[in-house]
Amino acid sequence: MQMARKRTGKMASSEEMGGSAAELESLVRDTDFFRSLVENGSDAIVSIDENSTILYANQAVERVFGYEPEELVGEKLTVIMPERFQADHFESVQRYLETGERQLDWNNIRLPALHKDGHEVTLSITFEEHSYEGKRIFSGIMRDISERVEQQRELERQNERLEQFASLVSHDLRDPLQAAKATTAVAKAGDEEALEELDEIHDRMERLIEDVLSLAKQGQAVGETEPVDLREVSERAWSTADTDGATLTFGESLPTVSADPERLEALFGNLFRNAVEHGRSSAADDPATLTVEIGPLADGEGFYVADDGTGFGDTDADQLFEYGYTTNEDGTGFGLSIVAEIAEAHGWEISATESASGGARFEVRT
Amino acid sequence: MSERPLVLAVDDEERVVQAFDIWLGDEFEVLTATGGAEALEQISDEVDVVLLDRHMPEMSGDEVLERIRAEGYDCRVAMVTAVAPEFEIVEMPFDHYISKPVDESELREVVGRLAEMGAYDQRLNELYRVTQKIATLEAEMTDSRLEHHEEYSSLVERRDRLRAETHDLVGEMERSELDDVFEMIGSEQ
Repeated sequence: MQMARKRTGKMASSEEMGGSAAELESLVRDTDFFRSLVENGSDAIVSIDENSTILYANQAVERVFGYEPEELVGEKLTVIMPERFQADHFESVQRYLETGERQLDWNNIRLPALHKDGHEVTLSITFEEHSYEGKRIFSGIMRDISERVEQQRELERQNERLEQFASLVSHDLRDPLQAAKATTAVAKAGDEEALEELDEIHDRMERLIEDVLSLAKQGQAVGETEPVDLREVSERAWSTADTDGATLTFGESLPTVSADPERLEALFGNLFRNAVEHGRSSAADDPATLTVEIGPLADGEGFYVADDGTGFGDTDADQLFEYGYTTNEDGTGFGLSIVAEIAEAHGWEISATESASGGARFEVRT
Repeated sequence: MSERPLVLAVDDEERVVQAFDIWLGDEFEVLTATGGAEALEQISDEVDVVLLDRHMPEMSGDEVLERIRAEGYDCRVAMVTAVAPEFEIVEMPFDHYISKPVDESELREVVGRLAEMGAYDQRLNELYRVTQKIATLEAEMTDSRLEHHEEYSSLVERRDRLRAETHDLVGEMERSELDDVFEMIGSEQ
């Protein structure tokens, strides 16, 4: 009640007027009204004294920070602050008390805070200062905007991908387009053979478009996942990929993974195609010589796909997953990008190394 | 120029150099190469203009360009490529950047212009190079990317300085002819 009197002109004046019973009743009602507003508002409100000791916290702190209000009162404000900000906080409060100089903007600033369970939440905070019983009180009105921040990040990621796609599509189509124009010119000049090559060039452009589309689709967030049997889904992928009589084998105790089965099949399909297209040296063209093995990672947290082919050679492992990177003239360079997109969409990590027999080995950490 | 200018066309796609030969053959003498090593064998003091693909197996066009310059050839070089130009082109010693696909009329126009540039003053050639690089970067990149790049702003400064330096020189020449050249560089992208 006292707090309300200090803070609102309306109540101070009603008291000055002497206070009839009705007025007093109205004052109590108003006070309850404001107390209830502060208590039950959706924004968390925390008030501290000059020593950063928490004097008051409303109900909403439970939702934002995971603490009950009474757990916070009496504690230092730093309990809800990530460690890296703590020293700075005390310093800037001290400076403000001495000089009145504000280190931060007090309105709607974005700061990370520490939840009771240890994760960080992003808050939009407005600071207020008032005096109460001769003491300086500082209050923070805080709104959890973690979700908004995450949405913003996702939007930025999407924009980035869009930019990449745009540049990719425009530039990767330039080469075959030039080849088509050139080949047409040569054909017009009388070389009939050139005419037939046009079909192949057009197919190359079509593959490129299909792969870019697939890349765009596979990169979208994974919806429902279910426990997937790796053996079953990889055998399905093997039968549809053009594996030319190469052999698929399985290691002991394959883990079951939680995945979108269709996308996982696409991941395997692209890895198999990569193995068949790049794993064999062009000299030894016998398809039966290539074996692809799927097995569990040593720690059980994922699986590997390894082949006994020619391996990556001088290829930079970092470049492998880049859009449009290929060492094969007819390749589009999207196969492994699609693999990486699918893994990423599941929240997995994928890496490439050399297999025991010197071939390619991809590890998917789930 | 009494003799026909000599052009060296380099691209790993054989059909592409064949087409360049067909497109340019009536006006220029054309040599072709389908790889970097072959290009370096063909290059000589007689070559006026080199058309150079960037993305080639074994030896990249960028490397061929470097070697051509290292061996002291100061012919005009146009990169003809599907590779998106990044800021690294600022320091590359070429004269013109053509984005694939290029067709007959554009190619003839650029090669014809480059063949003429050989007769002009060095600073004018430098001005041409810088102006064309600016146009190439501006065509490819967003304003905000350009703004934040020192290479770009130093390129613009260089162009302005060269413009001032060559002003008197240009006065002696047929101004309209030169205007045409620079207008074309800016407008074709």
